[in-house]
Amino acid sequence: MTKRSDIDFLRNQSGHNHTGDIWNVAVDEYAQGFLKRRDLLKYGALLGLTGFAASQGLFTSGARAATTGGTVRVGLGQPTKAIDPVSVTDPASIGVISQVGEYLILDDPKDGLEPKLALSWEADETAKRWTFKLRPGVKFHDGRTVTAKDVVASFERLVDPASGSSALSAYKGILSKGGAKVVDDETVAFDLDGPNSNFPFYVSSDVYNAVILPADYAGDFEKNFNGTGPFKLESFRPKQGASFVRNTDYWGDKALPDRVEIKFFDDEQAQVLALQAGQLDVIPSTPRLELSIDGNPNFKLLSVQASSHDQVHLRTDQAPFTDKRIRRALALTIDREAVVKGLLKGRAIVGNDTPFAPIFPSADTSVPQRKQDIAEAKRLLAEAGVPNGFQVTLTTERAYDIPDYAVLIQNFAKKAGIDIKLNVLPQDAYYGSATFGSSPWLDSNLGITDFGHRGTPDIFLNATLKSTGAWNAAHFNNPAYDALLLDYSKARDLQAQRVAAGKIQTLLLDETPLIIGYFSQYSRIVSTKVEGVRFTAISHLLLDRVSFV
Amino acid sequence: MAVARHLTARAGSLLLTLWLVSILVFWAGQVLPGDVGRVMLGPFADAQAVAELNKRLGADQPVLVQYWHWFSKAIAGDFGDSLAMRAPVAPFVLESMRKSAALAGVILVFLVPLGVGAGVIAGLNAGRLVDRLIVLAGVSLAIVPDFVSGLLLLIVFGLWLSWFPINGVAPDGAGFWTNGYYLILPALPLVLNLAGYIARMTRAGVIEAMAADYTRTAVLKGLDRREVVVRHVLRNALTPTIAVLATQSGFLLGGLVVIEALFGIQGLGNLVLNAAKARDFPMLEAGVLVMAAIFVLSAAVGDVLQALLDPRQRRRVSP
Repeated sequence: MTKRSDIDFLRNQSGHNHTGDIWNVAVDEYAQGFLKRRDLLKYGALLGLTGFAASQGLFTSGARAATTGGTVRVGLGQPTKAIDPVSVTDPASIGVISQVGEYLILDDPKDGLEPKLALSWEADETAKRWTFKLRPGVKFHDGRTVTAKDVVASFERLVDPASGSSALSAYKGILSKGGAKVVDDETVAFDLDGPNSNFPFYVSSDVYNAVILPADYAGDFEKNFNGTGPFKLESFRPKQGASFVRNTDYWGDKALPDRVEIKFFDDEQAQVLALQAGQLDVIPSTPRLELSIDGNPNFKLLSVQASSHDQVHLRTDQAPFTDKRIRRALALTIDREAVVKGLLKGRAIVGNDTPFAPIFPSADTSVPQRKQDIAEAKRLLAEAGVPNGFQVTLTTERAYDIPDYAVLIQNFAKKAGIDIKLNVLPQDAYYGSATFGSSPWLDSNLGITDFGHRGTPDIFLNATLKSTGAWNAAHFNNPAYDALLLDYSKARDLQAQRVAAGKIQTLLLDETPLIIGYFSQYSRIVSTKVEGVRFTAISHLLLDRVSFV
Repeated sequence: MAVARHLTARAGSLLLTLWLVSILVFWAGQVLPGDVGRVMLGPFADAQAVAELNKRLGADQPVLVQYWHWFSKAIAGDFGDSLAMRAPVAPFVLESMRKSAALAGVILVFLVPLGVGAGVIAGLNAGRLVDRLIVLAGVSLAIVPDFVSGLLLLIVFGLWLSWFPINGVAPDGAGFWTNGYYLILPALPLVLNLAGYIARMTRAGVIEAMAADYTRTAVLKGLDRREVVVRHVLRNALTPTIAVLATQSGFLLGGLVVIEALFGIQGLGNLVLNAAKARDFPMLEAGVLVMAAIFVLSAAVGDVLQALLDPRQRRRVSP
C-alpha cells in the first residue's frame, strides 16, 4: 500500500541531487498509475533509493505469518555438467545454485530489484561509474565474512575469458577486466566500458552467473556449495540430486522450511508422474506437461511474465527479404492472437516485432500493434513485384514449441501466396558453431531462434539488431537504428528512454528485420500443499518462504 | 591346446574390436556439430571464451593429435578427466557399470525362472492350448516397446497403486533388499519384453529333446516321466537357452538408455547418452568402450558355454 504522502516524501528525498529528474518522473507516473510498483523500484534502484525506501515500509507486501518446518521436494532436469556458478548455463543447475548462492541484487519478477548482498547503489553523473554499498556482516556458509574483495573477485572472474565463464557475452562492452574495484571493505565500485543506466541489472540475478563467491574460489563448487544463501548443503549426489538445510546464520529472515530436497530427472514424464504420486512439490513446467495436470485440484500452475521469445529473423541482405515491403508482408500474415491463444495456451503476450516486451518500463506502448492483414500483405507483395508470392525455406530448431510455431507461420504465409518449406534441425545442429558462416541460425535466409528472458532489452537490441551484433541473424545493417540505440543507452531518465524506445520501435516496424510474435511466460507446476514458492523467468527457484498448508 | 589358441584369437579380436570402436567414436565426435567449448558454454557464449576453453581442453589440436593423446593414456589405463564433470572418468564409469549390473541382475532374477519355466511348460505341452497361450503372450509382450510398457507400469504401480517409488534410485545407504526393491519396476519392462523370447528358445529345445533318441530310450527303460524330463530333457534342452541368456546379459549389462532415463538410473546407457549430449569425449569414449567390451565378452561367454554344454559344438571351437 502506497500513500500519497509516501510519494511526496520520497520526492523530497531525491530533490537535492542531479538525478532528481528521473526519480520525479517515475514518482509522478506512479502516482498517476502508469508505472507498476516493480518499475518504480527499478528507477528507485537507479538512485540507490530502494534500500532506503524499503526501510520506510513503502514496498512491504502483506505477508501472513507462515508456518515453519517441513521439507520441500523439488524435481529438476539433469544438469548437463558439473555445477559451477561461473560456467552455469542449464536451468537445472541454476535451480540448485539458487538455494545456496546469492547476488548483489535479486531481480524479482514481481517487485523488481531487491537489495541482497548490496544494500544500496548509485551512479555518478555519466552513469559510467557505479558504486555499491555492501550489506555488512554477511557470512559465507564456511563462516568467513563477505567483503568487497570477494565481490570484486567474483566479477573479475566472470569477465576473464580464461575462467570458463559463460557470462562473457553478457558483460561484453559493459564491464571488462579491472573494471571492478575495492573502495573499502564494504564498498565496491565498477568503472564501466561506457555509460549504462541499467547497470544494476547486470550485477543482479539477471546474469545468473553473478553469484557472490569467496575470493579464493577454485571452481570446486560441488565440493561444499559454499555461498551466502538461506540454505546450506546437506548432501550432494552427482547425477542424482542434492539436499539442503536451513542456514541458521543467514543474514536475513531465516528460511521457513527445514530442508530442501532436489532430485534430478532424465525424463520429463517420470518427473510429472512423481509429482502426481505426491513424491514432489515443485517441478518446472512445459506446455505438454500442463495438459496432464489440467483441472487437477492437487496442483497449480504458477507463471511469471517474461521477455523470453522466439525470434523470427529475415535476412535483410538476401533475396527475397532485401525489400522491406516483402518483410512487412510476411509479418502481416501472422495472426498473433491465435498463436498466443492456441499454441501458447494464453500463457504469453502478443509481441510487436521489437524486443521491447511490455514488461520493460521503457517500452513505448503507444506504438500501434501490428495485426494480421492479408489484404495489405498481398498489396505489399504486388508493389514489390511478386504478386503471386514466392518460395522460401524456414530453417529452425527442434526445441520447445518452435516446430509447431513454424507450421503455423507456414500456414499463415500461404494465405498471401508465400510458400514456405520447413527445415527443422536438432538444436545443436541449428546453432552450429554460433559464428557467421558456419551456423544455420546465423546464416539461414529465414529462421526461428529461442531467446531466454532478460531483465532489460539491452542484449536483444545490441546483439541481435546492431550492425556489429554477434547474434545478428537478420544481418540488419541500419545506421539510423545504430544511432537510435546509442541515444537509448545514453538516456538517463525514463521519459527520455521511452522516447528513444518509441523511435526504435517505429523504425523496426517499418524495417521488420525480425518478427517477434509473442513474449512467453515462465511457469512451474506446484503442489497445492505448498505456499510461497517463488521463481524467476531464468530458472532461479526461491524456496526460503515456502510453507505447508 | 585348441582351447588356448581359441582364447588367444578371441582376445586378439576383442582388442581389435575395441580399437576400431575407439576410432569410430572419435571420428563420430568430429562430425557432430559444435565443439566441446561451445557445448559447455552454450550457444550464446562469447567466441573468445569458447576458443579459450577449447585451447585449455586441448580440443583445438588436430584430430589425430587429440586421438593420440587419448589413446596413449588409455593404453596405460588412464581414461582422462571428464570435460563436463571436471573429474576423472573412471569412477563415473565404474559407478555406472555397478548400477547397470544391479539392474541387469534384478532383470535376470525375474526373467530366468519366468522365461525358462514358461518355455518348459509350453514345450512339454506342445500343440495344446496352454502352449499356444504362452507363445502368443510372449510374442505380444515382445512387441510392446520398453518405453511404453515402462510408462504404463509406472502409471499403474507407481501412481495408482503406489506400490513402488517412481524414481528408480534408492536413498543413500540403502541395503541390498531396498536397492533391489527400487529396481523391480525398472526391471519389469525388459522382463516382459524378453520372457517370450527366452520361453520360445526353451520350448524349442524341450520339443527337440523330447523327440530325441535318448529320451525315447530313457522312457523305454521305464524311468518315470519326471525323472526323464529333469535328467535328460532339460539338461539338453537348455543349452541354446543358456547361450542366448549370456548374449542377452551383454545387452542388459551394456546399459538400457530408455529405461534408465525413465527411472533415473545412472547406468551406462545414461552415462553414454549424457556424454554424447555434452560432447564429453573422454567420458563418451570410456563409456562406449566398456559397452563394446561387455557385448563382445558376453557373446564369447555364450559361445564357450554353448561349447561346454554341447559336445557337438566343441569341434567348432577354433575360429
